Amino acid sequence: MIRPPVPKLPVHETIYTPESRIRSPKRLLREMAADLWRSRELAWRLLTRDIRSQYRSSFLGTAWAIVPAAVTAGGLAFASSAGVINVGETDIPYPAFVMLGTILWQTFLEAFRGPEKAIKASRSMLSRVKFPYEAIILSQLGQILFDLLLKLILLVILFVVFSVSISWKIVLAPVAFTSLIMLGMGFGLFLVPINHLVQDISRSMELLLLVWFFLTPVIYPVPTQPLFAALVRLNPVTPLLITAREMMTTGVVSEPVAFGLVSLGAIAALFAGWLIFRLSIPFLVERIS
Amino acid sequence: MSASPVIDSNSADLALADSEQIPADSILSVQNVSKKFCRNLKKSYIYGLRDIFSEVVGAGRKSDQLRNQEFWAVKDVSLNVKRGESIGLVGVNGSGKSTLLRMLSGLMKADTGRIVARGKIAALIALGAGFNPLLSGRENVFINMAIFGFSRAQIADCFDEVVNFAEIWEAIDSPVRTYSSGMRARLGFACAIFTQPDILLLDEVLAVGDAMFRAKCYRQLAKMREQGTSFFLVSHNANAVLNLCNTAVFLEKGRMIMYDTAEAVISRYEEALLDYKADANRGAAAAAVATGSNQVDTELSIEKVSFIDDAGEPIAALASGQSASVCINCTVREPIENAIVIVMIRELNSGTECVLNLSSERDKKALPLAIGQQEIRLQLPYCGLSPNLYVMKVTVARRPFYVFDMVESFRFEVKKSKNMNQCQFYQPRKWQLQ
Repeated sequence: MIRPPVPKLPVHETIYTPESRIRSPKRLLREMAADLWRSRELAWRLLTRDIRSQYRSSFLGTAWAIVPAAVTAGGLAFASSAGVINVGETDIPYPAFVMLGTILWQTFLEAFRGPEKAIKASRSMLSRVKFPYEAIILSQLGQILFDLLLKLILLVILFVVFSVSISWKIVLAPVAFTSLIMLGMGFGLFLVPINHLVQDISRSMELLLLVWFFLTPVIYPVPTQPLFAALVRLNPVTPLLITAREMMTTGVVSEPVAFGLVSLGAIAALFAGWLIFRLSIPFLVERIS
Repeated sequence: MSASPVIDSNSADLALADSEQIPADSILSVQNVSKKFCRNLKKSYIYGLRDIFSEVVGAGRKSDQLRNQEFWAVKDVSLNVKRGESIGLVGVNGSGKSTLLRMLSGLMKADTGRIVARGKIAALIALGAGFNPLLSGRENVFINMAIFGFSRAQIADCFDEVVNFAEIWEAIDSPVRTYSSGMRARLGFACAIFTQPDILLLDEVLAVGDAMFRAKCYRQLAKMREQGTSFFLVSHNANAVLNLCNTAVFLEKGRMIMYDTAEAVISRYEEALLDYKADANRGAAAAAVATGSNQVDTELSIEKVSFIDDAGEPIAALASGQSASVCINCTVREPIENAIVIVMIRELNSGTECVLNLSSERDKKALPLAIGQQEIRLQLPYCGLSPNLYVMKVTVARRPFYVFDMVESFRFEVKKSKNMNQCQFYQPRKWQLQ
């Protein structure tokens, strides 16, 4: 038997124990940072893989990213112009208003559903290969940004058609988008264990999201009726969504304090969600494989 | 070969060893590792939620105790693999092999004990995990190797080698959907082994693919072993374990019942598989008679399988180069126009490949059976088998294929009668001077 003369000692030592990893927070944080960094290349590969295979397996390809938003917005604009629904005065022409709102809401929704979708899609990989799990979330994030970009192109066309004037504050809009995505993703990651272990929850999610949609000023401006307005204001998505919309159009930010607070909350939610996601994956792998 | 049997799973009650207690030359150390599962699906989800909750808040989850409807899938397994050495893992289905492997690769959290791995681990639990059928082989190689932690530059460096090994140059740019399962397996295997792990965990993945591919994989594994890669091999193939591993572990119902040199464990495993009695040693054959299933409601049942010599006297064993007959005694309850008798013989201690497969149908010998006691004889003018222990499977069937009865494993011995050194089989021969 041939043996290498001097076996080199590896620097990397992996230790697995049953103890909760949260008991050694420093190491946990270090591992989280390291895995996030390590996952970047894989995340990119997974992202390009997903986008390419979507593009190859359907004739419309990436157009599917904008079709749902366009149909929703188109339908609502038509209904509004026919006088079927009356949402009150909007700052910009209603079709552009509802299109922008839908895009923002959908971005939040995709971020919210992202983690669940990511785990479902990479089920077989998760149960067979150990890799930095952050990669599937990052690649999902990339997908959301990619879709958002496509939708924004559509929006630009719409803005030009309706000659909507934009404010210089549009350069700040990415901040609002980031907060929106962070909040959605944080909630989504937070719910990963429940969603995958309790069927009832994942089923009632559709219903919950529908209620959430109606409580968010997506297709209507901030309401004036007191009870409804209070409910809408309690919704954390509201300040993010309206601020994003205001930054892109009028430039007058009506609720800067709420926006700031919710943005900070979104950062916290994202971090807490990440922690829960990371800690729960080994327990999920046992049960989804 | 320096096997290091650290037997005795009883000493597993020792307190968790500290890192200092792990030998310096150890590459993989497993200390008292256990894993429990729940048979009830709903309960297992609830337990899962609870476990995640305690994990997140940092409370102890008392993982060393069984809850209602739980059982130990793996219990108190301790082993140690030295750098450059390899270990095999054998056991019947459901003995906890894959669970142990998944814990070693970090996919699952152990419920007790500790696992320390020094170096890069790659687990090959399924070939081509993460392959996307719509993308080309080339794209999938890049994705698959990235999953194993390779960077783009590293993949580009060994890309040619991977494709060479998988032998799919002409198809590398076609979608993986169009590949045969063998091509997929080859590509998946190539991706995993070229990531140059220090420890490679292999879970029965080589059971797929044709014999040529398997042989090629084993050659590659042997080469990697010479270069110092350690293997953790789960396999039903005794030869694979014997060729690649120094030591082996025999798991039964999650417990480690033997941890010794590969040879010792494999022979014990094979014996256990055949329900071999504890006191049997390699030299002694079991009773040279096998009884059939003794079923009474079928058209035919095999009563007995035995050997006789030319004089018709029963004999206990065959001998290389000597003549003998296999007697199959049956009870026939309905006349059978043409019975087919199939005799399959394989070596006791090596895999599943058979050394002889004799069929009355292929030999174009019609066997009409009338009602009553019948004796079918398979006469062997020379027993060509080399001295060893064998297992025979006797099947009586008819066309369209329907099995009347079979004797699953009739163990017998072939004794030495002439000098058979360096001969694989007995060759009847004559020397002459013209």
